[in-house]
Amino acid sequence: MIEVNGLTKVYGAKTAVAGVSFAVRAGQVTGFLGPNGAGKSTTMRMIMGLDRPTSGSATVNGLPYVQHKAPLRVVGALLDAKAVHTSRSAYNHLLAMAATHSIPKTRVHEVIEMTGLDAVARKKAGGFSLGMGQRLGIAAALLGDPQTLILDEPVNGLDPEGVVWVRNLVRYLAGQGRTVFLSSHLMSEMAQTADHLIVIGRGRVIADAPIRDIITGNGQARVRVRTDQPERLQQLLAGRGASIDVPEREMLEVTGLEPKTIAATALENQVMVYELTPLVASLEEAYMELTKDDVEYHSLPAAEVSK
Amino acid sequence: MSSTTTESMSPREPGSSPARPGSSNAGRSLAGPGPTFIRVLNSEVIKFRSLLSTLILLASTAVVMVGFGALSAWGTGQFADAANRDPQAAARVAAQGGDLTVSVPTSGIAFAQLILGSLGVLLMSSEFTTGMARSTFAAVPRRLPAFAAKLVVVMVTSFVVTAVSTWVAGLVAVPILDNYGLKLDLGSSQSVKLLLVNSIYVAAVAAIGMALGTLIRNSAGGIMSLVGIFFVAPIAFQLIPGDFFKEARKYLPGNTVEPLTAAQHIPDTLEAWQAGLVLGAWVVIPVLLAAVLLKRRDV
Repeated sequence: MIEVNGLTKVYGAKTAVAGVSFAVRAGQVTGFLGPNGAGKSTTMRMIMGLDRPTSGSATVNGLPYVQHKAPLRVVGALLDAKAVHTSRSAYNHLLAMAATHSIPKTRVHEVIEMTGLDAVARKKAGGFSLGMGQRLGIAAALLGDPQTLILDEPVNGLDPEGVVWVRNLVRYLAGQGRTVFLSSHLMSEMAQTADHLIVIGRGRVIADAPIRDIITGNGQARVRVRTDQPERLQQLLAGRGASIDVPEREMLEVTGLEPKTIAATALENQVMVYELTPLVASLEEAYMELTKDDVEYHSLPAAEVSK
Repeated sequence: MSSTTTESMSPREPGSSPARPGSSNAGRSLAGPGPTFIRVLNSEVIKFRSLLSTLILLASTAVVMVGFGALSAWGTGQFADAANRDPQAAARVAAQGGDLTVSVPTSGIAFAQLILGSLGVLLMSSEFTTGMARSTFAAVPRRLPAFAAKLVVVMVTSFVVTAVSTWVAGLVAVPILDNYGLKLDLGSSQSVKLLLVNSIYVAAVAAIGMALGTLIRNSAGGIMSLVGIFFVAPIAFQLIPGDFFKEARKYLPGNTVEPLTAAQHIPDTLEAWQAGLVLGAWVVIPVLLAAVLLKRRDV
């Protein structure tokens, strides 16, 4: 259980995190989603006691991280895949981390095996690819077998196999009743991994809800309908209060009516329908909708860039 | 920094029963052993010996110390030979109290101080430049045990490496000096004093280096500051006219070794006890400052 209360971090004139409050519960994967520069990493570093909040507080299991007697056994964190001395081998890095908590060597070997680092464990961490660095960071986070995991952009730089591995790992850990707090700016990744979503933009929490609510809450349900009499059906459905797009000939996108109502309307009026598909708004759309006003770095459309 | 952070010290779990105030929370952190000083020290030792660059710097210190000891023995022998033929030089030798050879084993100390001082800087600055600091201080969030452990590792290693290389330099110098009919007694009280004082001095320089590395968090900047204090300032203070700089020069850390090791008081230097206090202050003040700022600053 992570609790964050009015957490604020000000760097000079810039407010990176502006009074953020939320709770991350055990037994589920909580995604922390936001555009670059939204304050995700700063919030995580403050939870880990690495950055001092300007005001507000963050606790893990009711205590500030700094006050835990055996912090690595309470929280495991991957804050930065490069939080390693570049000239030290992965094995020695983990060994040194483990030594602070008397974690046995067997556990070091265990996490190396778990993260698939066996082949490179004796090599300098500085030569690692981003993906290998992520695996080493995850290995370090798992060392103390902690009840809470904080992972900042864990799939960054991983190959597809690694992405699936992280997804399964965090789902498995949450399934064991652990608290998993995972940040990403990739909405598609969150849609497949997280149960609950905290969306942050410009240092403020924009949304804090189960992922299903976020997807359905923004934008109403839409239904794709194919028929050989599009004009007729369009008229009929419009009469029932639906708003309708016609992206193709013989295809309608209907917003505001349930599929069953559409089908019933078509049946009553003897209009043949040969496709009726409910369209789920993607998390991506929901996210863009949520954060459009809170993106720190806007890009110009491609056409304007090339001018 | 802000008073609101102290709020978080009180457990505020709504469901916790009043019968065991906060104990259920505290109990969860006792899942296993945490970072005691001995464990953190062990971790710092592992970190220290698992870096090739560290081992190279230690080896170079030994090579330089022994090499300069041998060169100095040879030079001293040549000088003594010349003195035997030249009454003027002989008078100069006599004026020095006749003990030419005792400082031969420590003749490379200026380089040992530079190398091990830089090592002190690097051990801390590299934590920040590589990002390792985030791992270190996540494992030891109270930070000061890690700082103290690293300081112990740096100082003890610097002391031992300097002492052992000085002693080996002496062993190498004895037969060379013997060729010129000069004697060097490594067991004499003055030899032992030189060995110990110089080793303590180099350990002190390494500690100052580590404090600079912690304050500046940048390898080049830390080493340049160290060079500034130990090599540039003494020369600059000598060149600037005026009594103030002449007086101030005595209080530079590099000028405390001479009074500490001299058989008799040398004019224009501090008394031995003053020199000891000054060197101590040069270590304690930067180290305390570094510790306080390390605790307060963001990692």
